[in-house]
Amino acid sequence: MTAQRLFIPFILFLVIAFLIGPFLIIVAASFSAGETLAFPPQGFSLRWIAKVFTVESFRASFGMSMFLAIGGTAAALILGIPASYALSRYKLPGAEIVRTVVSAPIIVPGIIVGLALLRYIVVPFQVGITLALFLAHTALVLPYAVRVVSASLENLRSDIEEAAVLLGSSRLGAFFRVVMPNIRGGILSAFILGFVTSFNQVPVSLFLSGPGVRTMPIDMIAYMEIVFDPSVAALSSLLAFMSIGIVFAAERFLGFSRYV
Amino acid sequence: MFQNRAEALALALPAAIFAAAVFLVPVVILLSDGFRNPTGGWSVSAYIEFFSNPLNQAVFLRTLKLGALVTVTAAVIGYAAAFAIVNLEPGMKGKVTGLVVLPLMISPVARTYAWIVILGRTGIVNEAFQALGLTQAPLRILFSETAIFIGLLQLFLPLMIISLISALENMPKDAVPAARVLGANWLQVFWKVILPLTKEGLVIGGTLVFTGCLTAYITPAILGGSKVLMLETLLYQQVSVSNNFVAASVIAFILIAMSFAANILLKRVATARNKQRRAAA
Amino acid sequence: MNKVILASGTALMLTAMAALSPAMAQDKTLTISVYALSQDEYKEIVYDPFQEICGCKLVVETGNSVERLAKMEANKANPVIDMAVVSMADALSAARAGLIDKIDTAKLENFNKLYDIAKDPNGDGMSIGYTFYATSIAYRSDKMKIESWADLLKPEYASHIAWPNVTTNQGPPALYMLGQALGKDTPDLAAAIEAVGDKKDEIVTFYEKSSQLVQLMKQEEIWAAPIGRFTWAPFTKLGLPVEWATPKEGQTGGMNVMIMPKGGKNADLALQFMDFWLSTEVQTKLAEKFIDSPANKDVKVSEEVANNLTYGEETAKSLKLIPSAVALDNRAGWIKSWNEKVGQ
Repeated sequence: MTAQRLFIPFILFLVIAFLIGPFLIIVAASFSAGETLAFPPQGFSLRWIAKVFTVESFRASFGMSMFLAIGGTAAALILGIPASYALSRYKLPGAEIVRTVVSAPIIVPGIIVGLALLRYIVVPFQVGITLALFLAHTALVLPYAVRVVSASLENLRSDIEEAAVLLGSSRLGAFFRVVMPNIRGGILSAFILGFVTSFNQVPVSLFLSGPGVRTMPIDMIAYMEIVFDPSVAALSSLLAFMSIGIVFAAERFLGFSRYV
Repeated sequence: MFQNRAEALALALPAAIFAAAVFLVPVVILLSDGFRNPTGGWSVSAYIEFFSNPLNQAVFLRTLKLGALVTVTAAVIGYAAAFAIVNLEPGMKGKVTGLVVLPLMISPVARTYAWIVILGRTGIVNEAFQALGLTQAPLRILFSETAIFIGLLQLFLPLMIISLISALENMPKDAVPAARVLGANWLQVFWKVILPLTKEGLVIGGTLVFTGCLTAYITPAILGGSKVLMLETLLYQQVSVSNNFVAASVIAFILIAMSFAANILLKRVATARNKQRRAAA
Repeated sequence: MNKVILASGTALMLTAMAALSPAMAQDKTLTISVYALSQDEYKEIVYDPFQEICGCKLVVETGNSVERLAKMEANKANPVIDMAVVSMADALSAARAGLIDKIDTAKLENFNKLYDIAKDPNGDGMSIGYTFYATSIAYRSDKMKIESWADLLKPEYASHIAWPNVTTNQGPPALYMLGQALGKDTPDLAAAIEAVGDKKDEIVTFYEKSSQLVQLMKQEEIWAAPIGRFTWAPFTKLGLPVEWATPKEGQTGGMNVMIMPKGGKNADLALQFMDFWLSTEVQTKLAEKFIDSPANKDVKVSEEVANNLTYGEETAKSLKLIPSAVALDNRAGWIKSWNEKVGQ
């Protein structure tokens, strides 16, 4: 038993070092005074953190990714919540087909989704890149939205809303007054999960970039292809702290992890 | 349960139609490109051509090998880590789980670039190895399968650990102590009790990790480059350098087929063990 | 029931509207497609001043030559860009594919100030050179000595070099010079590809993006790599003894050219922009920041600037360039034999 007591923390330490180490190195490199990514960092300075805010393409692509992450996830929820509701509360003809179609985007490699959209939506229908990215990110987040919202609907007893309907409430009224307040946490969790997934998504957006239109991760790669200075490390750290902050706030106030 | 079919369809169809129009139809058309003859009919000639090229064969086998290796390694480490986490006291458990999930919130671009610094000839891994006297000269790790393996494992291990944590938590609390009391050693406990009871988590985690390896683009692109191509980097190259959309379609189909096959295979393995257990009982 | 349909319909419409709104365009827009290098400096020296002159909005797409050309091909029926800069060989390839138009040089005031070799590099009137560069070897002078292109493949050096992938602009010129060093320079580059293939396991990486090399050089992952002169400046800031080789076979290089897509909607504006870029003032400023070697012969620079660039018509003429037609006719073959010998 003593061997086990020592062994378990040791394994955990190694695993967590392996998982978190690279991130710590990126954070350390963001404060480097040197010209290239290096660990241990050469000196201390805030120049790369400051530089992040002066690169114009970063600002544009950050805005684009924010729009896609918020707008795409919102759209996925608008589509996904009714679908989840139908799947969990109704005898839906072809429920399995609906479930498969809606969750398909999670199985297919993103690079293929991006290429297919470029070839068969963007080019033939003259769809703008921004709209294409928006559609792609909505489709990408949809499976998460349906899964998380369905999970919280399953946890909610369906007889409450049936009772509300029997008592004369309209179906829609029952949904907004009885169901929605009870699955708010699940919806917010789905939103956060979708936001993080969309924001960090690379392969889908790889083929979907156009003049002046680029997502944040693609822009970071593009920047790294030209300049290899620590400003991308600095940017990554800032973005990571943003994501972590959002998740921590959600966990603290809503118990986010219950739904994921 | 509500019975109104029309209402149910009105609720579910927008999402289904959206996913079909934006996603399913374009992907299916893309995949069908690879089965089309230049003259019009259907054929598998593009696949024969693809697999008759030794470079493509090598890339295909490498992708399969690395995907399997990463999945198996993630499962082994994942069980150890998940078991350790589940047995922590409640307050600690939440914090450690948080640390495991943390990397999922960080851009894969940043996570991958960090390895360039870590795995370099003058990076901390090589310095540590030399300081410990394990190696004389610095090892070359970057731009190799090893580098891609490490990068992919770091990227997807959290998914395996989380899947296994929830599987282990759903296991009856007294199963392991009961088996221990009955005299089973740890290996037997794992093989006969833990594994059968957590196989669903393993299937989910395994599918996520393996599919992840087939989907990741940045990691093979940065840590392998054109010297160590994988199917996803080859696909990108076929499109953006060679403008060869037929080859891209072939690779796309192979990637999708591989992730489905992995999912089916993992489920098969899980049920096979189950049957065996039932037969033994 | 109707309410449900109405609600989902409204949701879809809102979705579509939200998606469209940020794509609204300004009325006078010039879209250009350029290499991704030094965009901050270009913005300061070229883009911002031009936007002020023309009162228009400039949209810039970046990427490497091949990627951007693939996009032009995809958008052939309805060109998205008004002007692009690519390599000489890619310009010829675009011309052969019917993607680009003849350039009305009469509308370019600065055209006659260009070096003769830049006026019509492919002889088809469809491209104008705006800069050229030497390609040679950046190397650690404390670790190795480079006198010939073949030195890179010496057993003691090969495991410390990066070689440009054949699909990059630097790939074929570097192979071409290696072929000369080996005494077997055929247009199919067979001997050179074979020689690189023999050392493929030792060579650290076949690079596609030159920016990575600075990091690799700093980490001592590599000691040497063939590079274009336009990426040279960052190496000099590393605090390491990195030098520019002058191999006995000479230096190779390339010229970057401006092209105009067929059916571009803002041809006059594009010409005005090109003229501005080729002006003595702009070309001088670009040279002074070590960005582009001038193609305008009126540009005069200090000795320091000349040392960091590929300056002067004599220098330009001395570079051993692969003719565009040779490059284009052989490119598929190079990639094929590269994949066979090096790729696996």
